[in-house]
Amino acid sequence: MKLGFIGLGAMGRPMALHLLAAGHELSVYARRAEAAQPLIDAGAHRCATPAAVAAASEVVFTMVTTGADVEEVALGEQGILHGARPGTVLVDMGTIPPGTARRIAAKLAERGIEAIDAPVSGGEVGARNATLAIMAGGKAEVLARVRPLLETLGRTLVPIGPAGAGQVAKACNQMIMVSCIEALAEAMLLAQRSGVDPARVKQALSGGSAASRVLDVFGAKMAARDFQAGVEARLHHKDFAILMNEAHALGAALPVAAQVWQQLNALMAHGWGREDTSGLLRVLEGASIGFSSARQPSGSPQERA
Amino acid sequence: MDIGFIGLGLMGRPMAINVARGGHTLHIWARRTASLEPFAQFGAHAHVSPAEVARHADIVFTMVADAPDVEQVCLGEGGIVESGKRGLVVSDSSTIAPAAARGIAARLAEHGMHFLDAPVSGGEVGAINAALSFMVGGEEAAFAKAKPFYELMGKSVTLVGAAGAGPVTKACNQTVVAMTMLAVAEALTFAKKSGVDGAKVREALLGGFAASRILEHHGKKMLERNWKPGFKAWMQQKDLRIVLQSAHDLGLALPGAAVASQLFNAMVGSGLGEEDNMAVIKLIERLAGLEE
Repeated sequence: MKLGFIGLGAMGRPMALHLLAAGHELSVYARRAEAAQPLIDAGAHRCATPAAVAAASEVVFTMVTTGADVEEVALGEQGILHGARPGTVLVDMGTIPPGTARRIAAKLAERGIEAIDAPVSGGEVGARNATLAIMAGGKAEVLARVRPLLETLGRTLVPIGPAGAGQVAKACNQMIMVSCIEALAEAMLLAQRSGVDPARVKQALSGGSAASRVLDVFGAKMAARDFQAGVEARLHHKDFAILMNEAHALGAALPVAAQVWQQLNALMAHGWGREDTSGLLRVLEGASIGFSSARQPSGSPQERA
Repeated sequence: MDIGFIGLGLMGRPMAINVARGGHTLHIWARRTASLEPFAQFGAHAHVSPAEVARHADIVFTMVADAPDVEQVCLGEGGIVESGKRGLVVSDSSTIAPAAARGIAARLAEHGMHFLDAPVSGGEVGAINAALSFMVGGEEAAFAKAKPFYELMGKSVTLVGAAGAGPVTKACNQTVVAMTMLAVAEALTFAKKSGVDGAKVREALLGGFAASRILEHHGKKMLERNWKPGFKAWMQQKDLRIVLQSAHDLGLALPGAAVASQLFNAMVGSGLGEEDNMAVIKLIERLAGLEE
């Protein structure tokens, strides 16, 4: 099939490579030309604009950072809207506000272009191993057409509802995941300040009711004081602004998520946005100063270098 | 002097009336023409657009709901920018985000006009009694021109800093007000659930460090269960969103404001949005299993 892929960063690059490896013809565009190079080397065509990608493709995937970026790529002057034919499908896999996803879908529909919002969970590792969890919003018949393609990228694909519904599910995912990271960080702090080995506590918890993926992955990172990014914390910070704006618009109270958001703000203030979200532990350690300075955070960027 | 006034709602109406009583000629515009009627008795000139108001005025005051409204009035079609003279001072008292205020100021400056962001505290009562607090951001010279008019509408007028400083101050104000409102609501519910007379608790607290204007005024109304809106819950919700969005952008943790914002979300979501923000006590009572 003739496919397009726009946005070839840490997530987009391995995903695009999977589509290429599955035997599809791939046209690509990236804002930074060098980001596209690994794909070009693997046999993809380089396009000068998103519109050119759309003109060459039956299905176009996008994996860019913000809602504004997706809007620019989809509807901007050189956007997909201006290159796609009726029946072309845009599959956006980034995390953006549900309202933006709905607006883009409506705008594209005016020209007969289809849209699926299909955000993912699983991070870079999931993208590399094609084990992402994909949550999709959009028309069922359109989703059926792109399902085999999405199955090349992920392990699970759950249709959630109409346009924007995938993004709602993703907002729920982020809310639970990062709140769990914060809960875990607080538990690690409690263990540490009690003079108990956090790694042992983590090991014990893995066998009980507090067991979770977050405990496995982020617990290990915290215990090892490895704050190098799996997913950069600044992206979770961005996602929290999206979901708290939704809560505002809906008149829904999310008291715990609101607290987690503030901890993420503090993390950003420390300049740790490009490190892992397990750095929430360091925010707590910073807030508990006056204890033992020997237990102050290690693993700063300088130390790692 | 010829003074423009745009936005004549709950707050704008009494503010404009206080300017008219100071002996000035008003040029007015409002989205709903019914809002213009009370001004006939003051000899005010009603106009068809903000641009027409600006054409006739030396200073224009605006008091509308949200940043998009201010942008529309200032920069939109039929907006002030179309016909304001060079040197025109535009003072906005709506509560908007600091970034939005800075953007509007920059755009008006391109046309030689001066923008003052001048949000207020004091609510409808403060507006009626000319007892508002103005917190202003902008240039000194423009502020000097507007100051006599602020003094007709308010009691306290402070030039805090450059463009955007007014909304920053207002965001600080709302942070304190919202959390204090919540604190008073929680304390009075604590008393009620404990079977202690809230009125007596309030009286005792007013003599100590917990004394505040909110405990005094809103605490009293909460006890009287007088929910007549001065400052509505949805407005508080909107203002806290500005606070938290700014905190997000700054990398600033505001855990208390975050909790308060969620309770005001719940008010709007549960149909209490049109009530005064002090009705937040109803949520605390509900959580305590105390029915009205």
